Amino acid sequence: MDQEERKQYLEDYEKAKKKGIPFFPDAVFKDAVVALVVFLVIVGLATFVGASLEEIADPSDESFTPRPEWYFLFLFQLFKFFPGSLEVVGVFVIPMVALVFLILLPWTDRSPRRHWSGRPVVTSITLFLLAGALILTVQALLEEPPPAAASAGGDQVAQLYSTNCSGCHGSAVAVASRDELLEAIRGETHEGMLAWNPELTADEIEALVGFVLSPTGHVLFESNCADCHDLDSLVASDAIELRRAIDEGPDYPPHENVGVPVWNEALNSVDQGKILAFLTAADGQRLWTQECASCHGQSVAVSGGRAALEDVIRTGGAHLDLDAFQAAPGPDDIETLALYVSDPPAAPDGAALFGRVCAACHATRVPHAADYEPARRLIAQGGAHEITRPWGDFLSDEQIDALVDHALRAIELPDLTEAARLYSQNCAACHGEQGEGGVNPTRSGDIIAPISTEEYLATRDDATLRAIISQGQPNFGMSPFADTFGGPLSSEQVDLLVAFMRAWEDDPPVDLPPEVPSGPVQAADPASVYLALCSQCHGDSGEGGLGVAFDDAWQQSRTDREIFDDINLGHAATSMIAWGEVLPSQQIQDLVSYLRTLTGEAGTSAALTYDATIRPIFDAYCSSCHGTLGGWTGTSYEEALTTGIAGPTIIPGDPDNSRLVQSLIGTHPDGVVMPPSVEMSAADIQKILDWVEAGAPER
Amino acid sequence: MASRLSEWFDERTGWRGSWTAVFLRKIPKVNWAYTLGSATLFVLVLQFVTGILLTLYYVPEPQQAYASVDYVTNELPFGWLIRGIHHWGASAMVLLAVLHMVRVIAYGAYKYPREVTWITGVALLLLTFAFGFTGYLLPWDQRAYWATVVGTEIGAVPPLVGDFTKDLMLGGDEISGLTLSRFFGAHVWVLPSLTVLLVAIHLYLVVRNGISAPPKRNE
Repeated sequence: MDQEERKQYLEDYEKAKKKGIPFFPDAVFKDAVVALVVFLVIVGLATFVGASLEEIADPSDESFTPRPEWYFLFLFQLFKFFPGSLEVVGVFVIPMVALVFLILLPWTDRSPRRHWSGRPVVTSITLFLLAGALILTVQALLEEPPPAAASAGGDQVAQLYSTNCSGCHGSAVAVASRDELLEAIRGETHEGMLAWNPELTADEIEALVGFVLSPTGHVLFESNCADCHDLDSLVASDAIELRRAIDEGPDYPPHENVGVPVWNEALNSVDQGKILAFLTAADGQRLWTQECASCHGQSVAVSGGRAALEDVIRTGGAHLDLDAFQAAPGPDDIETLALYVSDPPAAPDGAALFGRVCAACHATRVPHAADYEPARRLIAQGGAHEITRPWGDFLSDEQIDALVDHALRAIELPDLTEAARLYSQNCAACHGEQGEGGVNPTRSGDIIAPISTEEYLATRDDATLRAIISQGQPNFGMSPFADTFGGPLSSEQVDLLVAFMRAWEDDPPVDLPPEVPSGPVQAADPASVYLALCSQCHGDSGEGGLGVAFDDAWQQSRTDREIFDDINLGHAATSMIAWGEVLPSQQIQDLVSYLRTLTGEAGTSAALTYDATIRPIFDAYCSSCHGTLGGWTGTSYEEALTTGIAGPTIIPGDPDNSRLVQSLIGTHPDGVVMPPSVEMSAADIQKILDWVEAGAPER
Repeated sequence: MASRLSEWFDERTGWRGSWTAVFLRKIPKVNWAYTLGSATLFVLVLQFVTGILLTLYYVPEPQQAYASVDYVTNELPFGWLIRGIHHWGASAMVLLAVLHMVRVIAYGAYKYPREVTWITGVALLLLTFAFGFTGYLLPWDQRAYWATVVGTEIGAVPPLVGDFTKDLMLGGDEISGLTLSRFFGAHVWVLPSLTVLLVAIHLYLVVRNGISAPPKRNE
C-alpha cells in the first residue's frame, strides 16, 4: 500500500462510518446477544458435562495415558509424525513457522485488497493451516481409546503397546531404524519421551520393537502361532531354532503331532521374514547372550578389527585353531575342567587347571556350560567347539551389526577393583556387599530384594541397569546416582557399576532370594512365620540349605540370646537380613523357642502329623479364606477331616480321591487349583500328599 | 438530581467525553461475525471472575491442591458450577479467539492502519494457550500430571533454549511442588497481568482506529 492507497482507504472508511450505525446501542446489542448465548452454552456444559477430576496424581503410575486438552491435540498429533532426530521439526520448527507467518502477516500481504477472494495466497495458506489443525485434531480424537481389539483378544504385545505407547503414538509409529527404536524405548535418545526401560523387561521391550517394526509379522504371529505360543517365550528364544521350526514345518520335533502346516507352503518367504523380524530384535547383548556366551563367556579376544570380526561371525567355520583336548590333559583333568565350567565351586582345582590349559585362548573368561555331561563330551572330543555357525545364514544384517557392536564393546574389560570400591561405597549400604538386599532404610517394613540373582540379572540388560542406577527409583526410595540426574557418579562410573553387577552373572552370589512379603508379617504363630520366611533358606525342618542347619551341633553352640541377636540383627553380606526391622521382638522370641524344637533332620516325613507339619501349612496357605468363608476348614484336626462342601475333603489313605489333594495338584474335574493367589511349594504339597497317604494321623 | 450528580462527576472526571468517544461513536455497518471479539472479551471477564473465586479455595501445594479442587467440585455449594464455567470457559475462549482471528484474516482487517492491533491479537492468542497449559496442571490429578510431563518434555526439545525452558517450567529435574507453584504463579499473576495490559492496548486501538468495515468483493 502506498501513500495514495492509504489516503484512499481512510477516505473510504470515513464514508462507510457515515453510512454506518452507532456503536451503542446497535452493535452493543448484538454483542450482548452473542455474549448471552455463549454464557448459556458454557453454563450448560458446566452443568451437564461438568469438569471432571481424576484420581490424584501418581508419579509412579506410568501406565496412565497422558492426554492434553483438546486445543493442544493438533500439536500432539503433529509430533507423532516426526520420530527420533526429526522430532525438533514437529515440536519446534513447524509451530514456529506458523507463528512467524501469523506475526508477519500485515507485512507479507501488502496489497490493498481486503476481500478474501482478492488474496488467494493468504486465503489458501490460512485454509491449509486451519484444515491441517482440524484434521490432526480429529485424527487424535479417533485414535482414542487405544486399540480396543488389543484389550479384548488377550493379545499380550498389543496390550503392552496400548498401555505404554498408544497414548502418544496412536496405533502406529514411524521409525527410522530398529536400533534407534530399541534405544528410544530404553530411554536413551528420545527427548520428548519418558525412559521406559526400568518399567519394562528386556523381553517386553523387544516384543514392542517387533510390534512396531513388523506389524504384519505381529498379525501373522497372532493368526498362525499365538494359539499355542506365549509371545514371551518365543521372543526370548534362539534365532536358529525359530528358523528351523519354520523350515521343517510338521517335521520339527516339537511340532510333531500338533498338526501345523508346512510353513514353507503356508507362508511365503516375505511373510516368514516378517514373523522372524517381529520375534527377534537386533539387540546385540541379547544375541550375544543367546548365541555366543555359552562358549565365549562375557566377551572374546578379537584380533584384526571390526571387519575381521564381522567376517568371522558371518561365515562361521573354524575360526580358531584349537588343539584336540583328548591328547593333552588326562581324563581326570577333563572331568575337573568339565566340572569347573559347569559348576565352578565344585571344582576348586579347576581354576589352576583352566589357567594352564585353556587360558591361552580363553584368557580369564571362563565359558559357562549348563550341565556337566555335555561339557565333558565337548572337552573330551576336542576341537568340536571350534566350529562357529555361519551366522550370515540366520541373522539379518542389522542383527549382525548389533552383535559386532556388542562384541567390540564387551572387549574393553573394565577395571573391576575400582568398580568394587564404587559399589561398596555407593550401593552396599542398601543392597548388601553381595547384592543380597536387605531392609529398605527409606521405607519402613519394606525389604529390598536381591539384585545379584541369576533371575534378576538375566531379565535386565545393561541399558536397564544403567538407567536404574542413573535415574534411581524414586518410588522405591532410591535416589538418582548419575551426575546428570544430580547424583555423585560420572557416566563412566555408572558403566563400571553395571559391569560389576554383570560380573555376578556367571556365578550369582545369591541363588535363592528369600521371598519376603512386603509390609509387616501378620501371622503370629511361630511355625507359620518359620515356614513363610526362614524355611526358604534353612529348610522346612531346619535341615539347612542356603542357610545353616539347626542340627544338634548348632543347637549346642548357640545360646537363646545369641539366636535372638542373629535373627534380630542379621548377618551382613548374606541373605540373612536384620529381621528385627520386620518382625516384632515378641515374634522373634517365639521363633527362638520354635527353633529349639527343630532337630535339623529332613527325614521327618516318616512321622508327618497334623499337629507338627500339616496344620502350619494349612494356616499359612488356606485358613485366611477357609477359616471364615465356610466350606472346608483346616484349623482343627476334627474339622480338617470332616468338613467340606460335598462331604469330607480328605480321605485318609487315598490321596488320589481326596478333594483336597486334587485341588492342590490341579486334577480336580472342576479345574479348581488351590491356593488361588500364591503358589504352594512342591515340598509342602508333597508333605500333604504323604500325610494323607499315611492315613492322615493327628499326632 | 441525577443530572446534577452527573454534571458534578463530569466536571471532575470528564466521563461524558470518554462515553461519547467509546460508545456513541459511529461504526460501519457490520455483520454478526464482528461480535466474536467482544464475545472473547466477555469470556475473558468470566474467566477472571470464576478464576478469582476459585483462588479463594485453591491451595497450590501438591497434596492440598487435589484436596481443595476436590472440595470445590464435590462439597462447596455451587463450587461445581464455578469450576465448570472456568473449565469450559477456557475451551470457549480458545475457540472464540481463533474464530475471531479467522474473521480478521478473511476480511484483511490486519492491514493498514491496524497492524499493531493485529500483533497484540496474536500475542493474546498465545497467552490464551499459555493459560490453558498452566491451568491444566493445577488440579494435580492424573491427567493434569501426565499431560504436563509430556508438555514439559516437549518444551525441552528446541535446541539451545530447550533445557533452560524445561528447567524454568519444572524448577528441578521432575514435576514437584515447585513446578506447581510456578504454574500457579504464571496462571494467576503473570499471564493475567500481561493479558490485561495487552487487552487494554488492543481495545484502545480498536476504538482509536475504528472497527474495520466488511470489504466488498472488489475491495
